[in-house]
Formats: sequence, C-alpha cells, structure tokens
Amino acid sequence: MRLSVLFKFAKVLMISRLRSTRRSIVSRSITSRPILIGLIGIVLFVAGLLFGYLTTVFLSSGGAPLTGPVAHQLVVTIFGGVPLFLVGFYFTMGLLWEVNASTEAESTDAINWLPITPGEYVAASALSTSYTYSPLLMVAFGYALPIGILTGNLVGFLVLVPIALLSTSVGSVSVEILRSALASASTAFNKLGGRVTVIMRILGIILILLVTQLLFSGVFLIQIISSLVGTAAAASFVPVFWPTLAITKLLQSDFLGSAGFLGLSVALFVLLSYVALSLRAKYWAVTPGAIHFAGAGSVSRPSRLGYLGLSSPSVAMLKREIRSATRRKEVVRLMAIPIIMPIMISFPAIFSPAPSSTSGPAQIDPIFLVIPFLFGIGLGSLFLGMTSIGQEGRRLWNISTLPVSASMLVKSKLLFTSLVSSIGLGLGAIVSALLLHASILVILGFLGLGLVVILAEASLGIAIGSRFPDFSDGPRPRFVTVVGSIIGAVLGILEMAIMAFPLILSFILRTFLSILLPLQFVLALSGSVAGLLTWVAYSMSIKPVYSILSELPN
Amino acid sequence: MTSTGSAIDVSHLTKAYGSTVALNDVTLSVGTGEVRGLLGPNGSGKSSLMKTIMALTKPSYGTIHVLGYDVRANPMEIKKIVGYVPESPRLYEFLTATEYLDFIADVRGIPYEQKKERIARFVDALDLEGKQGDMISSYSQGMKQKVAIIGALLHRPRVLLMDEPLNGLDPKSARLVKELIHGLAKEGVSVMFSTHILEIAEAICDKLTILQGGKILAEGTSKDLRENAGLPGSGLEDVFLKLTGTKGVEDIVEALIR
Repeated sequence: MRLSVLFKFAKVLMISRLRSTRRSIVSRSITSRPILIGLIGIVLFVAGLLFGYLTTVFLSSGGAPLTGPVAHQLVVTIFGGVPLFLVGFYFTMGLLWEVNASTEAESTDAINWLPITPGEYVAASALSTSYTYSPLLMVAFGYALPIGILTGNLVGFLVLVPIALLSTSVGSVSVEILRSALASASTAFNKLGGRVTVIMRILGIILILLVTQLLFSGVFLIQIISSLVGTAAAASFVPVFWPTLAITKLLQSDFLGSAGFLGLSVALFVLLSYVALSLRAKYWAVTPGAIHFAGAGSVSRPSRLGYLGLSSPSVAMLKREIRSATRRKEVVRLMAIPIIMPIMISFPAIFSPAPSSTSGPAQIDPIFLVIPFLFGIGLGSLFLGMTSIGQEGRRLWNISTLPVSASMLVKSKLLFTSLVSSIGLGLGAIVSALLLHASILVILGFLGLGLVVILAEASLGIAIGSRFPDFSDGPRPRFVTVVGSIIGAVLGILEMAIMAFPLILSFILRTFLSILLPLQFVLALSGSVAGLLTWVAYSMSIKPVYSILSELPN
Repeated sequence: MTSTGSAIDVSHLTKAYGSTVALNDVTLSVGTGEVRGLLGPNGSGKSSLMKTIMALTKPSYGTIHVLGYDVRANPMEIKKIVGYVPESPRLYEFLTATEYLDFIADVRGIPYEQKKERIARFVDALDLEGKQGDMISSYSQGMKQKVAIIGALLHRPRVLLMDEPLNGLDPKSARLVKELIHGLAKEGVSVMFSTHILEIAEAICDKLTILQGGKILAEGTSKDLRENAGLPGSGLEDVFLKLTGTKGVEDIVEALIR
C-alpha cells in the first residue's frame, strides 16, 4: 500500500464529500483548507476540556476531589459511552452520505480509471470518513481528559484514546462494507428488468439499509440476545459493545477481561476491514443504471387509473416518478426513508412489552403508542417531499418544455410521495396489529390519521423543496439546500405537533382529569387540522413551482 | 394573441443573468415555413435566445410572439405548439427510449394509436430499432440526440427550435435530420436552427442571423451576408470570421504548435 497515494486520495475523497454541501459557507472554507478540520478539532478539544472540568466541579462537593462511587460511575459512563457513541455516529453519518450517493457520478469516479488498488481505496475512504468527523472525536477526548485526571483515572484515559480511535475505524470501515453492498445490489438488480425486479430492487435496498442499521442498534441486539442468554452477559455477545467493554472492564480492574475485549475489538476491526476489502475488490466499479429490458419495450395503452379521474398526463408523470424511484440509485434510497424511519423511531415502542388487556385501568391505548410510528412516517414523507423537486436536476428542461402546469407537477409529486409513504404506513398497521395487539378500530384510526399526516407532511416538504431546491448534479446530490432542510425539519416537527395536539390533549385529559374524549372525535379533529395544513402547503407550492418551470436554472 | 404573419416575432429582447447580458436588444422575425440559421461564437447568445422563445426563461425586456401568442403571457400554449431540442440534452437516463417517448407523448396528449405509429416510425428512421428497450444511460451522445429530436417532433409542432441538433449524429442521421428540416419547412413548419457547421447552415437555411455578444451582427441570406462583409466570392467561413472580427487565426496556430 502506497502511503502517499493513500493520504492524497483520502484528501480528495474528503474534499469531494464536503463540497457536496455546496451552499454551506462553513464547508466552502473547510474544503479550501482541509487543515481547518484539524483546527476546529483543537478548538472543540479545548471546549471539551472546559466542559469536562465543569462536570467534575459540579459533581464534587465543596471543592473536594471527586472520588468514590460517584466518580467511578461518572468515569464508567463517560469512558464506556465514548466508543459506543463513536461507532454509531461514524456509521450513521456514513450511511447518510450513502443515501445521497449518485450512481451516475460514482461511475465516473476517478477510482475507475486510476491505478488505485481496492486496499488503497478502502483505507483512503475510511480515513477520509474518520478525518471528516474527527472534531467529534476531539471533543470526546477533551471532555474525558479532565474527568480522567481529576478522578485519578489518567491510565483509563490513555487506554480510551486508542480504543476510541479503533471505534471510529470500526464505524468508518463498516460504512465501506455498506457502500460496496449497496453498489453490488444496485448493479445486480439493474441488470434485470420487469415489475418483479423493480419490487425486488426496492425491497433489497430497504433490507440492506435496515439490516445494517439493526446491526448497530444496541437496543435491538440486546433484546435478541437477552432472550438467549442472561441479560448481564448479553452485551458481551454484541460486537458493537466490545470496545466499550474493553474500557469498562479496565475501570473495574478486570485486566484480563479488558485485554480480551480489546483483542476482540481489534479482531472485529480486522474482520470488517477484510470484508470491506473483499467486497470492494469484487464489486470494484459501480455500474451505472443500464437496464437492458427484454424486448423492444412497448408504448403504454390508456391507463386504468383514468377511471379514478387521473388524466393521461398525470398518469404519465406518476409512472415517470415511479420509474425514477426504482431505477435511480440515489432516489431508491430516498424512497426507503419513509419506510425505514418509522421502524427506527418506534424501536422502543416495538420492543417494549405490549399493553395487555388485563393490565388494569391505567393501560395506555395503543393509539398513543403508534404516535412514534406516525412521527417517523411523517418525517419520512417530509424528507421525500423536500427532495422531490430538486431530484429533477439538470433534467428539468424535459418538464419545462412540456405543457405541464405547476399544479400538475405538484400533484404528481404529492401523489408519488404519498404512495411511497403509504407502504411504511401499511407496515405500521401490520406491526401495530401483531406487536401492540391493536384493535381493528385502532388500526383503522391509525391508517386514517397516517394518511392525513402523510399528505400534510409531503405537501409541506414539496412547499419547502420548491422554495429551496438544489438542482446541482454531483457525487452526492442533496436535492434541497441546507437552509431548506433546516427550515423544513423545524416546520415539519411543528406541523406534527399541531396535528398531534388533539391526541396529546386527550391523553392529558384522560390521565390527569379522568375526562374521556371519544377517540373518533379526537381523530377527526387531528385529521381536519392535517387536511387544512395540507391545503395551505399545497397552495404555497404552486407559485415557486411555476417560477421554476418558467425560469430554468442557468 | 396577435397576428403578424410571422411565426416568431422577437422585439427588442434583452436577457440578463445578473450582471451578464446574454441578449441585448435583439429584434428578429421568422416567417412561416422558414428555416432560420443562428450563427455565432460560443457565448454569443444563441442558446439564450432559443430558451427565451421556448418560455424556459423570462425576458428582462422586450416581447416575443410565437404564432401570435405572447410567450410571457401564454407559456403553456407555446409549449403545446413548439418542439425544442436543447444543446446537449439531459434526458431521463433511467428510462428506456420507448418509455421516454411514451412519457412525452402522454403528457402531450397524443392518442394511443398515433403515439404507437409515430414512435415506431421515428425509431426506425433514426436507426434506434432494437435499442429502444435499453436504458438511455447506456446510449452514446448521438443516440441521446436522436431521442431528443424524436421527442421534439412527436407532437407535430408548428415551430421547431433546434440548438445544435446535429451534435454527435452519424452522417446518415445528420443527413436525415437536414432533409427532415427541409421537408417540415415545406409543410409550413418554421424552424430556428443553431449550428457551428457553416456549410450546413448555408445548405439548409433560408436566412442566417449572426449573433455576437448578445447582439445581432448581421442578418439575411448567405448572399446578403457575403455582400455585407464585402467578400462576394468567398466561403461562408471567411464571411463569418470577418463579421465576428476573428482574425489572426494562423498566427495563433503558429504560436500553439511552436
């Protein structure tokens, strides 16, 4: 492995990743001078030092040194938490990058035509991920150092440093595995055509994202393993906990155990690196989506959707959206979000003991337990809606030159976003029925409420996406500007709070004042609010979309 | 809607992108069934003019009428009657050619039987037969250009705007498109056509407009332009270079190869 090539390539990868956040002033200055990331790291390290010192001062009584069980608990919590947090953070950030990756851009990546080995690529890519997010590592070190010194655990801190570095490497290398797995899945599916393959492609991508996310979900793994072995020993079987156990065992003076888990952590890193390398070597270059359908393809007959009142242009627009979503790698992954997000958000509810019908009068109605699920679906719809206009990219002229009105475009985007999100809703209904033992009435209420939440959030997303579109095509297209994303996220959560208000009020009245509002009334009220918000957001989308259609981005 | 007898009427058109003036007080008129060639160096405003006529961008000043419709007031009408081929078209690469053309035809409301017949005819004529079921992402630039040309012609437009449509086409297809333009003009279709290949412009255009720096430098038949440049017996290339003030090419080449 040529180190000079590795470092140079890592720098190029880091710059290209950061520059995809084109509208951010911060990233522009960083990409001009990557050393700035190091300087930011130093500043955050100093800030961490201050907060770490303040934490020990706060916890110590009367200025006396922090000792005893409180000090031990603090050190175990902080030192043990750092590796676990770092693995999760690095992996999640890498996952988010991958969600936005464009096959078209990746296929023209320099790796395809430069003399770079798979090993150099994996190492450089993992290194660039590690360095990009290194300020977080620095703040963790800064925070842990005064705690280590002032509690007499400097040795523990010195061991934490390499373990934390190992954790970031584990997270970064895991992203490389995910990257290759997704590339191979896309390539494999893209070689085939037909409706069954289209469905398989979506399910395949969702499954990969879901499984990899689950592998790093301690809550889920503990649940599974706890059912097999004793709860206390369960963590020992979860690889993601090994770096944490290495440091906590050391703090408990279990040196043998610490060395064992440290060895396992190193072995995990080596294994993951080997897998990443093998996958990268096997699926070297990403093949751009080049589906070769059997036969010449035939023009479509008038759609049966016309019976539902959809015009021929509307059906054509919808079909185009569906094809885009199932064939463009960067869009397939966006589409998975409204399906995955509710599952992720509602993990705690899913894995909590289900409310039983015999648990007494204080029992919580399952309709309140599905709120996290609806929150996830709403966020997913919002995200998909926000990116829907920017997805047109440089291909926008195709729509702009056709007699397509702003309202027709908005409706097709809304219909498509709602259709995709409804899959997540359907899954939610099944989960509610199976795991929460919800009644038919609750399921119907959940579906009805879910539909209006989807419509409201998707409309808001499109309204935001049409005001803050990002049409630039890059290796990591983001489709909506950073400012738009922030405004959208804030407004989306606010909108969900407004829609959920009748439900929350009903819950408060029932719990604290024993006033029972009819569930149908509460749901109807929430639904009406959502309907009104949908209409407002839809109306707000028309003008900016009209402007986009009448003034192509230069 | 006003009737002026011309298919395209551009009056005192100015288009600015921030501080950059792409078009500066452009006035021109293209008659029904006329083929108008747009010539000019890179960045002279040819593409901006076509985009503004197609209602893809708003004029900063001035008016445009296409078949009597004010472009600013009736963009939807313009899109119904005009066919447009952009320079380097970015098509939906995730669709096959058939799916792309099917989409265009459906949005334009072309009935099933007509759509089927027209797509088959164009695909066959432009040698895309057998490849129309492949994703556009696997096409060469020339094949993408062919798909874009078919997309612009499917609805039988009354006005055609073609921004360097022969880019990347093989000789047979280029010849076919040239003949097609001639044939359409005879049927009353007005064509505005930009190119850098001056022989083609001279061969198929009724009139030529030379743009430079967003302004019209010269306008007329190739004979008019020769006389305007004071080079009656010269080739169009010499006329173009003289009118656009491009000189000393030989010296530059000499310096480059030294």
